[in-house]
Amino acid sequence: MERIVCSWCQAQNDADRTTCASCGAPLDAHNVVMDSGWREAPRLRDMTQIGFGNSTCQVEGEIVPVAEMTLAQGDGVFFEHHAMLWKDPTVPIAAISTGGGMSRMLGGMPYLVTTATGPGRVAFSRDAAGEVVVLPLQPSEELDVREHAFLVASHTIQYSFERIKGFKNVMHGGEGMYLDRFVTAGDPGILLLHGYGNVFERRLQAGEKILLEPGGFLYKDSSVTMDIQQQDVKTGIGHKGLYLAEMTGPGRVGMQSMYVHHESE
Amino acid sequence: MSATGPDAGPSTATAYVCPYCRTASDATATTCPNCGAPIDVRQVVTRSGWEELPRIRDLARIQFGQSTCQVSGKYVPVADMRLAAGETVYFSHHVLLFAEPTVQLTTMPMGNGWDRTLAGMPLIMMQATGPGNIAFSEDKAGETVAVPLEHGQAVEVHEHRFLVATSGVSYTWEKSGIWFNTIDGNDQKTHRPMGRYLDRFESDGRGLLLLHAAGNVFLRDIPEGDQILVQPGAVLYKDPSVGMELHLEYPGKGSGSGGGLGGLGGLGGLMHSVGGSFSNRVTPWLRMWGPGRVAIQSVYAHPKDADGPIGRTAQATSQHW
Repeated sequence: MERIVCSWCQAQNDADRTTCASCGAPLDAHNVVMDSGWREAPRLRDMTQIGFGNSTCQVEGEIVPVAEMTLAQGDGVFFEHHAMLWKDPTVPIAAISTGGGMSRMLGGMPYLVTTATGPGRVAFSRDAAGEVVVLPLQPSEELDVREHAFLVASHTIQYSFERIKGFKNVMHGGEGMYLDRFVTAGDPGILLLHGYGNVFERRLQAGEKILLEPGGFLYKDSSVTMDIQQQDVKTGIGHKGLYLAEMTGPGRVGMQSMYVHHESE
Repeated sequence: MSATGPDAGPSTATAYVCPYCRTASDATATTCPNCGAPIDVRQVVTRSGWEELPRIRDLARIQFGQSTCQVSGKYVPVADMRLAAGETVYFSHHVLLFAEPTVQLTTMPMGNGWDRTLAGMPLIMMQATGPGNIAFSEDKAGETVAVPLEHGQAVEVHEHRFLVATSGVSYTWEKSGIWFNTIDGNDQKTHRPMGRYLDRFESDGRGLLLLHAAGNVFLRDIPEGDQILVQPGAVLYKDPSVGMELHLEYPGKGSGSGGGLGGLGGLGGLMHSVGGSFSNRVTPWLRMWGPGRVAIQSVYAHPKDADGPIGRTAQATSQHW
């Protein structure tokens, strides 16, 4: 039988599908790729449905999209606890420590993630205009994500984080920046990010480099290395200059177009 | 997704009841004359039953009295009103975008002023009387929502969502009654996840109320006996018949050290179960029950973490998982 390969997540789909069953990307639309090689993340059509495990996720709304999960018995998701928009009263939630303790809390990052388990419904959204980016993870895949960009992930994904010291002073007054790291073991999983503004992705070849404004960085394959470089540019009295993140391939890099820093409270 | 067509198509001049604002019109246009919602589109309903409010089409006209309102713009819509002579609307001054010189602008003092100023709400509303054009916009990407009100109909609105209303719509407010204290040593801190006040708009005759919602808007009819948990800060408006109360949900402890999501496996690495003081962390929800209509927006203020044990609360239910 004829199959369509999704150009966003590489999943195979039945030929009669118009959206990818794994990531929701439209299969009947052309990729939008700029001359420089950045491609627009697929704009999910309103009410697109995505399957994971025995559960489904529906993405609805086009200004600040909502991810509505219908969790099957035995399936679960985890998230930062303040990202829940609404839920069925019967869906149990539990808190799980991520370690890192005080330093991470001082950095404004959650010390806990919350889990919700099926059966039942729970929905998530973020606090500003943007796009939901769906990144299915195959077994043994590793992805690094900007802090606070993570919306929700399925329970088969493992979660840790690291602090990027080089971002000190660059981001928010010396607190540094955390990278959330998502890893799959034996089973595939699904990861949803919220990017502010629009989201673009580029695949870097081995050794290929790109300089990215740190605020625009959204995610990368863990095979992409990131170094902070101070540029020889004076941006005003008392300012040390311009910092950019040098990303080196191979792998994917995702960026967001709106990079006002959002306080996390 | 499920989709249902409206009962009456745009070509038939029979009574058409808009599924969004619930008012009747003759459906001779392609948009509802009372709220601007398109008539010639399918209703979009999520699997769980939330109806997505369709965007008001650019330049669609909403009729009120002898005046009209056009809403245009995709990200931060502008409500541009053509006021007929002698017709009046009122608004908070910060939403005014432009006005023609023929529009008469005056102030409208509000009662209970002191209380309201403390809560960060405007003490003085402005009113504008036609003839002429006047326009309003807010400062967040989102949707402008038109809520036509029949005579005697009331709607309760989350504070700070109000954009503009016609002069026949009365504006009062009452305490939201949604609060809890956390204990920090000898101090108690009061949290009001829904704000201090709930605005109430009630119409004397046919009136129009415009709200601005951040993000996308979803509507739901909660049947009698049904309930749902909603982020208190995400509420846009509700029928007065919809009950609401604080609901405190305490997460359970993840099982097993070294990772495990409620015993489901996965989530390894640095994770371990949480006990002791961290299990105090609470999610404050708004429990809403029917019968009636509730509208939510997809953007909400992050509730401050309840960083200590819970002290006194408003009347509330709770769930310990």
